[in-house]
Amino acid sequence: MTLSRRRFLGTSAALVGLTSKTGRPVAGGFVDGSAPIGHRLRDHCAFPTPERAVRIPLVIVGGGIAGLSAAWRLDKRGFRDFVIVEMEQRAGGNARWGDNEVTAYPWGAHYVPVPGRRAVLVRELFEELGILRDGQWEERYLCFDPQERLFLHGTWQDGLEPTIGLGTRDREELRRFAARMAEFRATGRFTIPMALGAGDAASPLDRVSMAEWLQHEGFTSPVVRWYVDYACRDDYGALLSDASAWAGVHYFASREPEERGPLTWPEGNGWIVRQLLARVGKYLETNAFVHRIEPTGTRWRVLAARTTYVADAVIFAAPTFLAPYVIPGVPDPHFVYSPWLTANLTLDRWPRERGMPVAWDNVIYNSPALGYVVATHQSLRTTSDRTVWTFYWALADGAPAANRALLLQRDWGFWKEAILADLERAHPDIRTCVSRIDVMRLGHAMVRPAVGFLAVRERFRRAHLPERVFFANSDLSGLSLFEEAQYRGVTAADRALATLTRP
Amino acid sequence: MAAVLLTSVLLIAACGLIYELVAGALASYLLGDSVTQFSTVIGTYLCAMGVGSWLSRHIGRGLVARFVTVELLVALVGGCSSAVLFLAFVYTGAFRLVLYTLVAVIGVLVGLEIPLLMRILRDRFTFKDVVANVLTFDYLGALGASILFPILLVPHLGLVRSALLFGLVNAAVALWSTLLFRRQLGAPRLLVGACVIVLGLLAAGMAGANRITSLAEENLYADEVVLARSSRYQRIVLTAWKNDLRLFLNGHLQFSSRDEYRYHEALVHPGLAAVPGARRVLILGGGDGLAAREVLRYSEVESVTLVDLDPVMTQLFATHPLLTALNGGALTSPKLHIVNADAFVWLDAAGELYDFVIVDFPDPSSYNLGKLYTTAFYRLAAKHLSRAGLMVVQSTSPLFAPRSFWCIARTIADAGLRTYPYHVYVPSFGEWGFVLAGLRRYEAPPRLPGGLRYLTPTTLAELFDFPSDMRPVPVEPNHLNNQVLVRYYDQEWNEINR
Repeated sequence: MTLSRRRFLGTSAALVGLTSKTGRPVAGGFVDGSAPIGHRLRDHCAFPTPERAVRIPLVIVGGGIAGLSAAWRLDKRGFRDFVIVEMEQRAGGNARWGDNEVTAYPWGAHYVPVPGRRAVLVRELFEELGILRDGQWEERYLCFDPQERLFLHGTWQDGLEPTIGLGTRDREELRRFAARMAEFRATGRFTIPMALGAGDAASPLDRVSMAEWLQHEGFTSPVVRWYVDYACRDDYGALLSDASAWAGVHYFASREPEERGPLTWPEGNGWIVRQLLARVGKYLETNAFVHRIEPTGTRWRVLAARTTYVADAVIFAAPTFLAPYVIPGVPDPHFVYSPWLTANLTLDRWPRERGMPVAWDNVIYNSPALGYVVATHQSLRTTSDRTVWTFYWALADGAPAANRALLLQRDWGFWKEAILADLERAHPDIRTCVSRIDVMRLGHAMVRPAVGFLAVRERFRRAHLPERVFFANSDLSGLSLFEEAQYRGVTAADRALATLTRP
Repeated sequence: MAAVLLTSVLLIAACGLIYELVAGALASYLLGDSVTQFSTVIGTYLCAMGVGSWLSRHIGRGLVARFVTVELLVALVGGCSSAVLFLAFVYTGAFRLVLYTLVAVIGVLVGLEIPLLMRILRDRFTFKDVVANVLTFDYLGALGASILFPILLVPHLGLVRSALLFGLVNAAVALWSTLLFRRQLGAPRLLVGACVIVLGLLAAGMAGANRITSLAEENLYADEVVLARSSRYQRIVLTAWKNDLRLFLNGHLQFSSRDEYRYHEALVHPGLAAVPGARRVLILGGGDGLAAREVLRYSEVESVTLVDLDPVMTQLFATHPLLTALNGGALTSPKLHIVNADAFVWLDAAGELYDFVIVDFPDPSSYNLGKLYTTAFYRLAAKHLSRAGLMVVQSTSPLFAPRSFWCIARTIADAGLRTYPYHVYVPSFGEWGFVLAGLRRYEAPPRLPGGLRYLTPTTLAELFDFPSDMRPVPVEPNHLNNQVLVRYYDQEWNEINR
């Protein structure tokens, strides 16, 4: 009794001491990638001719996970005569990261689910990186507890699946949805990497949107629809009504709910990039924008910023939509890409709150954005004053082209206000905590598995493509996942190697 | 003028409700059982308002002057109600008496307000308009207050300042009513003066609100507070009564000088005495230097590294005469090396091996503290143990929190160490538990250092026996990615601290 009294009094005494503070100035700006260079490509601008020419057997275009994984494979196979050309200052692609005086933080992909048995390549890499040791996952790379929380009905609840304030119908539908997904899982057709399963282009699921599928299956609960919509926006940057039902099901049916994960690091998948760079960084050329890849005899001439590479083969690990602009004879793949915005917020103190304590992934119900991930969550410290939150926002509502235009039109202040207003729903005092907001605009952040995407990628696969160019981007899977990028990169490396070493 | 008066109705209605809510909320905080507290407070308050309304018939002439007087009284009594209640809880044994008296007085005064105002407004409207207007604004004011209270006032101002703020509003109504009716008043200057004095008093209260609550807070401790310090990490309070010195961190008792020797002898000697020739000792936590005092009884110990997060804590226990008397100046021993760092992070970067490691952290009451009780932490600690070394872990109470205690034991075992749980009775804590762990088999030491007040080789052997009500229970181990311990702990201590 005395103890609880003291606790209560402590709480109220603390409340008395607080005065309401108004928001304070927030620093920051856009941290943009190389979109402007990309637009010069689109607008057919002239590029300067490179100064030097280099003869090399293989060029990898793109230093994201796909390109680095291709390099990792080649290096392990003993093939070392190649170069990776990356247009940005730093490698990483969607797994790029940043750091400040508080912590490292992600700019994009920030976790990898604990890989299942079939993700052989991921397990091979993770064993090499010490993430998997003697069948045990390294505890400090598994996401610390509490993993996820959801702000719903004015309070934070544990986990992302809504559990408070549900009606009987909501509960019944959530149960039925889980059971349906377990059935799909049991078919073994939804795998990671997806190429191992039966992602056949004729799947009837690919012909309807996830919204239509839910409707058809009699799921009408707004809670279920929110939950699945959130999943589609989170993994595909697409609304329920824009995502292929095949992809929607894949999200829930492709992973075994066994190990309590996911695997994550302060800088997100940037940690994996750093480990890969420690192995293959020696092959990397940064600030090298490839604007042309043209045939010359039986070889390819790759025109990067300062260098022309004359190569026997090319692994094209950059987003595939760029290929028609760069390589003659490559048809438009007609892939759809989702525009995104990510922001890193530096907080000088934590917001005051009650209920479920802060988790790694924090989501606000019915927000147009996706919530925030706490970069310091994986710290071993027991106390921290300052932190960095990575705010994710897939601009899913509306046409991608219109949202890309919006990304470019609006200034930093607009996005800063939008982000703070969204967070204010759950954190009324957020403006007194944040000292800096850096915003990254990603026009083509990730490929979108839109309705019919399986058929679209099949058409591109079967199209007449130039020889000795091996496409490797994860967009070929239609799913922007680490596992897919790695699988595509390694597969392209194997095929390139087979060509290059053919007697 | 009518509009001003109706605004006054709105404001005083809001004030009236705020005082009622403040009293109800405070009674709930301090006494628990919010249903009873709110019911009785509201009941008393409404009844008293009825009494006030009835009493209003006895006020004949000088309506405005009476109204202003009532306003000023409400301002004073209502405005100070929250602070008075806080202090009454701490200083007197008659909190309930003060509570209901205060609620009744405010109720009577508030009950007088509306009838008086209606009569003041009588000449300006028809009767039906007076009733309609006054009651409309009365209820609207109540609505505003009921929304403001939970959303703005409690979170941003707290209870003491909320009451004071609305006292200021009452006093302001009194002031402008005086100014409005100055022609009809006999002694307007006197009333204006009274208004200004009340406003001043309440404003001073607003400024000093922090002091009032800290005064109340510190007096929650049963004994005299001899020292209170706020560090970046915690509030350190030392109390004394006769020869009993007690340390509280964030309000939680850390030790009582009357029986801490039981805790610290049991923490250190079963392990350290069983590592013959131990030279290097590591203490994680334990910034009070009491474990270090016990360690320094072993002359063969050459170096003690003490890692505690809070420099204010180690500084205090190295210098304050009362405290150095208690820990025997352990923290200034030349053998001792103090590191102020977060233990997990420090250990992760450290390279040395130790013969004996003492893990004496705060209980796993949050996910942040829970990290220090995970397989990951114990694996790391095991890497810093010499081959014959031992580690002891403070493991909360096996009697009050059996699942928490056995979860810690299970977690250490899962980290690949042999475990030897034991417990000791410390009067100010109750039954308390520890887990000894090592890479080798543990044998109870045949001999103990001299000068101990509690432990003997015979009692030491008995510590490892667990009676039926403290037997192992089935539990999961605690991992960084699945902190079951924090949930066990929260459930178990919540059951006790009702």
